[in-house]
Amino acid sequence: MATELDDIELRPARRRFLLGASALAAATIAPGLLLYQVGQASESDAKTPRWGLLIDTNALSEADVDACVEACQREHGWHSEAGSKTDAQWIRKVGLSEPGSDQQRFLPMMCQHCAEPPCVAVCPTGASFKRADGIVLVNKHTCIGCRYCMMACPYKARSFIHEALHDQLPVAPRGKGTVESCTLCVHRVDRDGANAVPACAEAVNRAGRKPILFGDLNDPDSEISQRLQRLGGTRLRADLGVDPGVRYQGL
Amino acid sequence: MSTVIFTLRLLLLTALLGWFTPALATDVESSSLGDVVIPQPPKPVDAVTCVEPVEVMRREHMKFLMHQRDATVLDGERDSKYSLVGCMDCHNPSKSSETAETAVRYPDPEHFCAGCHLYTSVRIDCFECHADRGLAKSQQGRLLLPPEQGLLSMQTFHDLKGRSDGD
Repeated sequence: MATELDDIELRPARRRFLLGASALAAATIAPGLLLYQVGQASESDAKTPRWGLLIDTNALSEADVDACVEACQREHGWHSEAGSKTDAQWIRKVGLSEPGSDQQRFLPMMCQHCAEPPCVAVCPTGASFKRADGIVLVNKHTCIGCRYCMMACPYKARSFIHEALHDQLPVAPRGKGTVESCTLCVHRVDRDGANAVPACAEAVNRAGRKPILFGDLNDPDSEISQRLQRLGGTRLRADLGVDPGVRYQGL
Repeated sequence: MSTVIFTLRLLLLTALLGWFTPALATDVESSSLGDVVIPQPPKPVDAVTCVEPVEVMRREHMKFLMHQRDATVLDGERDSKYSLVGCMDCHNPSKSSETAETAVRYPDPEHFCAGCHLYTSVRIDCFECHADRGLAKSQQGRLLLPPEQGLLSMQTFHDLKGRSDGD
């Protein structure tokens, strides 16, 4: 515990020191003899990521999708009664059937983390917002619970908390009178960056098999970009032009 | 005449000062003013120092938390030192690594935050959404326990609340 406290205190100071050190090196050593590139210590030079998911519905059984929903509930501490239209619903199971055949397909449906999110456009307080890295969130400190965003969302990804709650988890503050939705496990993303694995993906991914792949859509070398390049991916309701960050295969 | 009144007033003032000063001193030492008990919030567990000196935290903690709140939600800064989760991890951790049921809950005056807020008549709504206790590291951001074990049931919450109301 004590060492963690130290880490927390030291990190910003260490970062400042490193920045200062590289600036000093750049200033004192002759051109062409730089010990460090200044850019290496500067985080702002890196291209901003855009986090997204690639979901391979061919590799997901109905049980897998149920496991995704359950994992999300456990991770964030929300619950949903079967058949209730007003309960929390960060992620849900959608079944598709092909008319005239026995073909059935199941996919997990959650916030699509759009590049042009309609929920953000309609929010009267700015509580619904898109982070620099593309994750769409609700700032519950400024949300007034008007639910415009729920009406604007073409994916029905958001839900409203009608009742007072108790025993929320530290990673997922939730409260009565605010709107909520999938956060792309933002607490894991902030901790692990490109190596983050959202809870739903963790529930179904096995060694060598990743039906739900998390990654940086802006990085052409990332696994998700490579796979999209090779196999393609469907944007749900692409006609709306909202450019979702969640892509599906096998639809 | 006015000199007499002035002298009397001066005497009265001295008497009053003499009366109250020692009384105040003893009261503070015994941590109570009449029936009101001065809160003694629990010290951090397993940590030697807080993120700032006690005097600074007493006056400024709300500003730190307010600033941190926006930095976390908007910019995703989760590892800086003024985090509410950090407060709870140190000052109100679950005593057992298995469940959260051993931690003191916010309605309880024994809670790290509740004691002073009751004393100063401050009403906060942080804990209508945020966790009022630290969870064991194994429970944070990792799914290790099924919900029925990792979370307090509603019944347990009301039991706890009833107990603290009764006190």
